[in-house]
Amino acid sequence: MFTHFFAAPVQVSAHCDLPCGVYDPAQARIEADSVKAIMEKTAASGDADFKARALIIKEERSDLVKHHLWVLWTDYFKPPHFEKYPQLNTLFNEATKLAGAGGTKASWDVAVADKLLAKIEEISVIFWETKKAA
Amino acid sequence: MRPRKLGFALVHGRSMEPALHEGDRLLVLYGARPRRGKLAIVRLPDDPAGCPRPLAVKRIFGRDPEGGDGWWVERDNPREGLDSWTAGVGAIPAAGIRARVLLRVPARLHLWVPARLR
Repeated sequence: MFTHFFAAPVQVSAHCDLPCGVYDPAQARIEADSVKAIMEKTAASGDADFKARALIIKEERSDLVKHHLWVLWTDYFKPPHFEKYPQLNTLFNEATKLAGAGGTKASWDVAVADKLLAKIEEISVIFWETKKAA
Repeated sequence: MRPRKLGFALVHGRSMEPALHEGDRLLVLYGARPRRGKLAIVRLPDDPAGCPRPLAVKRIFGRDPEGGDGWWVERDNPREGLDSWTAGVGAIPAAGIRARVLLRVPARLHLWVPARLR
């Protein structure tokens, strides 16, 4: 009789699209995509509460992009990678700057988010080349 | 109006920390109207590969800022997980808000939740 009042038990997740503990530039890309989406949505919104919240979330997610890039830079890539791809350090430096106070953290310009996404894509291409070579 | 039913839910993952932790059991009310600032069980849209995402627990921020009948939901943990701010997720349609979270079942009462969730 309880079935009339009780639904079947369920599992609810605090879901990520990617498995934790695995290196993947997609983690940085997902957050950078979100930063871009926040810029677009906020520009279209007339709701002051939403805009105020968007400002905070955009800063958080920009920091998260930086975090994911730093993990790749410092933990995944090894000295032989930096020898083979001499542009790698500069790429990371430019990408993390684009996610920082001089980039998407402060800016509302979608073009800045696009630049950040392009840098992440360059890093991603190298990442997958090193994966194939490994 | 949708029929209301009570149910239990088991929490996985870290996106609702510090409010909820892995292994928490929740008493939820299906069909209940969401409330701003409260937790809800929601159906997230399929992922970019077209695979269904599991049911999720999120916090209701408010109505869809674009004026639809949907709800804007957030994760509590800024470092992990998905929410309406994630590109490709956005507002959850009203039909995707499945239940309101009534309470977190204290660990000493876990014996009383259904065996499948113990």
